[in-house]
Amino acid sequence: MSQSEVRKVRYRMGKLERKNTLVAYSFLAPNFIGFAVFTLVPVICAIALSLFEWNGGDISKLKFVGLDNYATIFATKKVAEKGLAYFFNRADLGIALKNTVYYTVVTVPLTIICALALALLLNKIRGAVFFRTVFFFPYVSSMVAICVCWSFMLMKDGPVNQIIMALGINFNKGWTADSTMAIWSIILVSVWRNMGYYMVLYLAALQGIPRELMEAATVDGANKWQQFWHVTLPQLKPTTFFVSVMMVISCFKIYDVVAIMTDGGPGRATKMLVTYIYDEAFIKVRYGQASAISMVLLVIVLLVTIIQFGSEKKFSND
Amino acid sequence: MKKMLSVLLAVMLMMSLLAVPALAEDQVLTVVTWDATTTPYLIAQKDAFEASHPGVTIEYVDVASQDYAVKATTMLEGGDTSDIFMIKEIDNLINWQAQGFAAPLDTNGYDMSGFVGTEVNYAVDGVQYAIPFRSDFWVLFYNKDLFDAAGVELPTNDMTWDQYAELAKKMTDKDKGIYGTHYHTWLSAVVNWAVCDGVNTLADKNYDDLLYFYKLYQDLEDSGACMSYADLKAAGLHYSAAFANGNIAMLPMGYWYVSTLIGYNQDGTCNFNWGITAVPHAEGVAAGSSFGNLTGAMINAKSEKKDLAWEYISWLGGVEGAKATASVGARPAWVSEEVAASMSSVEGFPADETSKGALLPAAVAMEWPVAEKVADIKTIVNEEHSMIMAREITPEEGIEEMNERVAELFE
Repeated sequence: MSQSEVRKVRYRMGKLERKNTLVAYSFLAPNFIGFAVFTLVPVICAIALSLFEWNGGDISKLKFVGLDNYATIFATKKVAEKGLAYFFNRADLGIALKNTVYYTVVTVPLTIICALALALLLNKIRGAVFFRTVFFFPYVSSMVAICVCWSFMLMKDGPVNQIIMALGINFNKGWTADSTMAIWSIILVSVWRNMGYYMVLYLAALQGIPRELMEAATVDGANKWQQFWHVTLPQLKPTTFFVSVMMVISCFKIYDVVAIMTDGGPGRATKMLVTYIYDEAFIKVRYGQASAISMVLLVIVLLVTIIQFGSEKKFSND
Repeated sequence: MKKMLSVLLAVMLMMSLLAVPALAEDQVLTVVTWDATTTPYLIAQKDAFEASHPGVTIEYVDVASQDYAVKATTMLEGGDTSDIFMIKEIDNLINWQAQGFAAPLDTNGYDMSGFVGTEVNYAVDGVQYAIPFRSDFWVLFYNKDLFDAAGVELPTNDMTWDQYAELAKKMTDKDKGIYGTHYHTWLSAVVNWAVCDGVNTLADKNYDDLLYFYKLYQDLEDSGACMSYADLKAAGLHYSAAFANGNIAMLPMGYWYVSTLIGYNQDGTCNFNWGITAVPHAEGVAAGSSFGNLTGAMINAKSEKKDLAWEYISWLGGVEGAKATASVGARPAWVSEEVAASMSSVEGFPADETSKGALLPAAVAMEWPVAEKVADIKTIVNEEHSMIMAREITPEEGIEEMNERVAELFE
C-alpha cells in the first residue's frame, strides 16, 4: 500500500473512532475544565506573577522585576555578606522552611507508626468496630473545634501539664506559648487527628494480606514478631508508600492548625511556608513575593514527590 | 424554535429596560463594614441617616472584624461595586488608595475643623480620600464596686504608671480571685503607651522606649496582679468577657469598650458600677495624653452613586452623624462641646465628674503612624512582642531584636 492508501484506510476507520474519542473526551471534559480553571491556569499565573511586583488593584500596575522577588525572599544580599547561617536564622523564608521541614520530618513517621499500630491492634480485637469509629472520629470533626480544645488542654495549668507534672517532670508552661513546645503542640494535634484516617487505609491493606502467607509462616515456625517483620510489613509496602506521599505533601501545606493554635508564634517559632505566603499576600499585599514563595513550595513538593516515586520500586510488592 | 427563542430574548430585553426607572426611585447605598449587627453605633447611624434622607436605604455588607482588611481588599480587587468601604486601620486606606480603589473626595466647602487635624491621616498628597467618623482613644476602665469593697481610693485622671502599678497591686486579692488589672494580649495594650508623648512612634526604628512598659508589665504579672499572657493566649479570653466577669479592678482599653459595657449593663451580662479615667502617663508627659485610632469611610472608585455616597459620608463625619454615633456611647471623630455633652448624656454612661473629664484627652497620638514599610515593621514588632510576653526572651533581648530587624528592613 502506498502512503495515501494508508491514510485513506485510517480515515475510513476514523469515523467510529472519532465518535468514540469524542464521547471519551466529553466524559473527561467536566473534570478537566475544573482542573484547568481552578488549578492549571492559577498555577501558570502564579509562576508569571512571581516575576512581577504587584500590590493588587489595577492590572496595569504590574511591574516586571525579573528575579528580584526571589532575591528578596532568599535575602541574597545579606546571605552573601553574612553566610548561609543568616538565611536559616534570620530570614523569614529560611525560618519558615526550617520549621516546615522539622514539622514534616517528625509528623510523617510518627503518624505512620501510630496509624499502623492502631490498625494492628484493631484488626482482630473484640469491639473493633467501636474503637475504629472512636479513632476515626477526630478526622471527621471540625478542625477549629479540635484546635480550640487542644489549646485548652495544653494550657499552663491544663490537663496535659497536670499529667506531666504527676509523672514528676517539671514543666510549667503553656505549650503554645513556649517556642520549643509550640511546634510540638502542632505536631501532636496533626498526628492525633490524622492517624485515624491512615489507620483505616492500613486496616484495608491488612485485610488484603493472603491468609496463606501467615499460615505458611506459622508452619515454618515464625513467631509473632517475625511474622510481622517478614510478612505483614512487606505486604503493607504499597500502602506505606501511598500514605507517605500523601502525608509529605499535606505536611508541607500545613496551615489551619498553625493559624488557629499559634498564629506562627511565639515569635517566628511556628511560622510555616503557607502561613508566610498568607502573610505576604493578604496582610502585606505583595502578590509577587507571595507567588515567589509559592514557587519555592511547589519546587520542594515536586522534588520530594519525584524522589519518592523514584524509589517506588523498593515499595512495590513484586 | 429559533423564532420562539428570539421573541423570548426580545421580551427579556424590554423588561430589563422597563425595570431601570423603577429602581431609581428607591436608592440603596451599600456600605461594607464589620460586625454590623452587633455594633450599636452602626445601627444608630443607619437609623438617623434614613430618617433624615427619605427614599435612601443604607445596606450594610457585614464582614467579621478580624478578617476585615483581608476580605475588604479581596472584594475591592474582585471589582466589587459596593458604594462605601469603612476603614479600620489607616494603612488599609493608604494601600487601597495606592491600588486605585478609593475615589478622591472634593472637600471644597466642607467644614473639617471639628476633626482637629486627624483627617490628614486620610489624605495622600493633599487630596482627601476618606472622612473620619469615629476616633477612639485609650482610657482606663475601673470596676467601682471592687474599689469600694476594698476601701481603696478610686483612680484619677492624673496618675503616673508607677502609681497605677502600685494601685493594681493594692487591689489584687488572690484569695478572692481578684486581679488588680488586666492586659489584653495586643501590643497596643501593653506598650503602645510609649507613643503618648507625641514624639515617639512605633515606626521610628528605635524601641528602647518600650522597655519601661515591658518591665512594668512583667512586674505586675509576677506579682499576680494580672492574668498571665500565656494563659490568655491559650484560652483566647477576650478582654470584654474578662472585665465583665467582675473580678478585675482596672482595664486599660480603647474607648469603644464604653458602648459594649453600657450594652452589657442593659442586657444583664454584668451589673457592677464602673467608671473611666484618662490612661496613666509617664513622668514628664502631660496627664490625659493618650493614643488612638481613626475609623472612617471612603467611596469606592467603582461606585455608581458617588454623589449620594458623598452625601452619606460627609453627613457621617459631620455634626449630625457625630450625634448619632455618640448617642450609643461611641466617640465620634468630630469634637465639640455639643458632641461631648451628648456623649456623657448617654444612658448608662458613668455620672461622676472623673469619667466626664476623661472624655476630653489632652493629646491623642496615632497608634501606628503612616510610614514607609509600616506593615513589615508591624509584623516584626508583634513577633518580638509575643516572644517577650511569653518570656522566651527578656525585654532587653526583644527590643534589641526589634531595633536590629527593623534596621535591616531599611538597609
